[in-house]
Amino acid sequence: MIRLAVEACPNGMIMTDASGEIVLVNAEIERLFGYTRTELLGSSIDILVPAAVKAAHRVHRTSFVDRPEARRMGMGRDLHGVRKDGSQIPVEIGLNPILTREGLMILAAVTDITERKLADDRFRLLVEASPSAMIMTDAAGRIVLVNSETERLLGYGREELIGRPIEMLVPPRIHGEHVQFRGAFHQHPEARSMGSGRDLHIVRKDGTELPVEIGLNPIHTRDATMVLSAIIDISERNKAMQSLAEQREELQRSNADLEQFAYVVSHDLREPLRMVATYSELLAERYKGKLDERADDYIRYTIDGVKRVQQFVRDLLAYSQVSSQANVPVPIDSNAIVMSTLERLKAAIDETDAKIVCDRLPAIRADRTQLGQVFQNLIGNALKFRTERPPQIHIDAEQRGGKCEFRVADNGIGIDKQYEERVFQMFQRLHERGRYEGNGIGLAIAKKIVERHGGRIWFESEPDKGTTFHFTMPSAQGEAA
Amino acid sequence: MSHRTHVLLVEDNPADADLTRETLMAGNPNVDVSIAKDGIEALEFLHGDGSWSTPGRPTLIVLDLNLPRKDGRQVLAVLKNHDLLRQIPVVILSSSDSDKDIASCYQLGANCYITKPDDLQSYRAVLGSLEDFWLGNAKLPRRDGHSVQSGIGYGM
Repeated sequence: MIRLAVEACPNGMIMTDASGEIVLVNAEIERLFGYTRTELLGSSIDILVPAAVKAAHRVHRTSFVDRPEARRMGMGRDLHGVRKDGSQIPVEIGLNPILTREGLMILAAVTDITERKLADDRFRLLVEASPSAMIMTDAAGRIVLVNSETERLLGYGREELIGRPIEMLVPPRIHGEHVQFRGAFHQHPEARSMGSGRDLHIVRKDGTELPVEIGLNPIHTRDATMVLSAIIDISERNKAMQSLAEQREELQRSNADLEQFAYVVSHDLREPLRMVATYSELLAERYKGKLDERADDYIRYTIDGVKRVQQFVRDLLAYSQVSSQANVPVPIDSNAIVMSTLERLKAAIDETDAKIVCDRLPAIRADRTQLGQVFQNLIGNALKFRTERPPQIHIDAEQRGGKCEFRVADNGIGIDKQYEERVFQMFQRLHERGRYEGNGIGLAIAKKIVERHGGRIWFESEPDKGTTFHFTMPSAQGEAA
Repeated sequence: MSHRTHVLLVEDNPADADLTRETLMAGNPNVDVSIAKDGIEALEFLHGDGSWSTPGRPTLIVLDLNLPRKDGRQVLAVLKNHDLLRQIPVVILSSSDSDKDIASCYQLGANCYITKPDDLQSYRAVLGSLEDFWLGNAKLPRRDGHSVQSGIGYGM
């Protein structure tokens, strides 16, 4: 009866008497150790025990016989069995005392754990190879495994960590909390990051704290659920983010300073300039022809110079006001904006005999006044930089993925490719003074406005044929368009 | 001489004061212009102390905003909170064209806000129209010439 049961058991089963003589084996034992049944029966169990532990094994067997009770052999030590060819296999052995008529027998259940050992080793290698620090803890929060990155990061050797409570690495001020969180995690073990939204720190051997991010992964083993924590040192990242934030703040501050400076300068210059302008005009008016001819010239130069500076100051002020006097973008009808712009430019349009065609334009989201300014500057340029031919201007637009692209095309003098960058810069004039009016602020303002709206402005041009300016603005419907 | 009108010009910049006075007087030979160099002087003039022996009661006050000691907004606030002085129309003539300044002046009770034009021609045109309107077309409360009875005191 017992023989049949033993034979059918999928584990290796081997029975010895109190002296260690083998009295029973099953087929699995033959397979595991490479001996036949006849070779084993009557032999001492010693032949299956590694030489190094034979003596200890005998002592343990004697004590088992003295106090026979079912237990695992080895008490946590790694056990090995010796095969007939001399090779060793890792095993787990359960011991059961069996009382028979022939006296006390010891029934050992032998499990080959080679596969499990391999898997375990692979797991350890994987953990070891991880670029982040990894710490595995058991359900009681004791550290059972760390990798070398953990040693490097924390300054502890692994022997100082294994078996110790994980709280040794937790800042003392949150020990209590951590124990609670750990308990909660074991209630609902699932992979997640620790401390959602809070700043986490880990305590190094020297007592310093490192800012970290911690990923938690439950590892289900046969006996228990372990927790594998992946720990990433984020002190460098924090530093980088902080310096980035500081730089951004600095940039915003210096931009604001620059705009404030432009505003103050242009504003405060106006008063003294007005004095120079009005009094030199008064001088011209009262004393023209009463001094000498050179004096008249000097006065004329003075007036001319101061008027130019006044224009510069007005332009600078207009440029600085693109930011300081901006309104919140609202949905607007671009057709109406273009119409009122053309109304404002009526004198110039009539004077140049210009023909202007405007297609149906989509609604966009923008600052009304500023969009008008962009159209005024572009259409104004198209009228100004004309050839002998009467200007022909075509305005149209196209919707493209949440953006609207406007085009203002003319048949004017065109812009040479080499000036591509310069046309959008402040006070860049491409023509000699006197040929065309203006300070070259119009396109700089247009660019600033378009970019404030998250758009882009560019042009295509062929000298003597014409120029097409393109600019994008957010559609009224936003991304849904 | 009951048809003479009197303008109090409050202006710290002598160049602007000169130009404004000349332009006002050239446009209308019956205009007298008194000049106060800051807000304190302006109020002394209206109350009849300091270097003025009697309180002045101009037909029109032309007030600059940025003045030393007491600036134009403060002067305006005092005038428009005074029982009698509030009758005198106050025209703000400032180099500022900021929305904030314009709004705050009307809030305080300014009768008109004008930004100083940048060139002589426009300056004359603006002052001319100001004179035509306030000293010509507009009907203002009756008053007894330059000086006034003791009703105008310090109570403000």
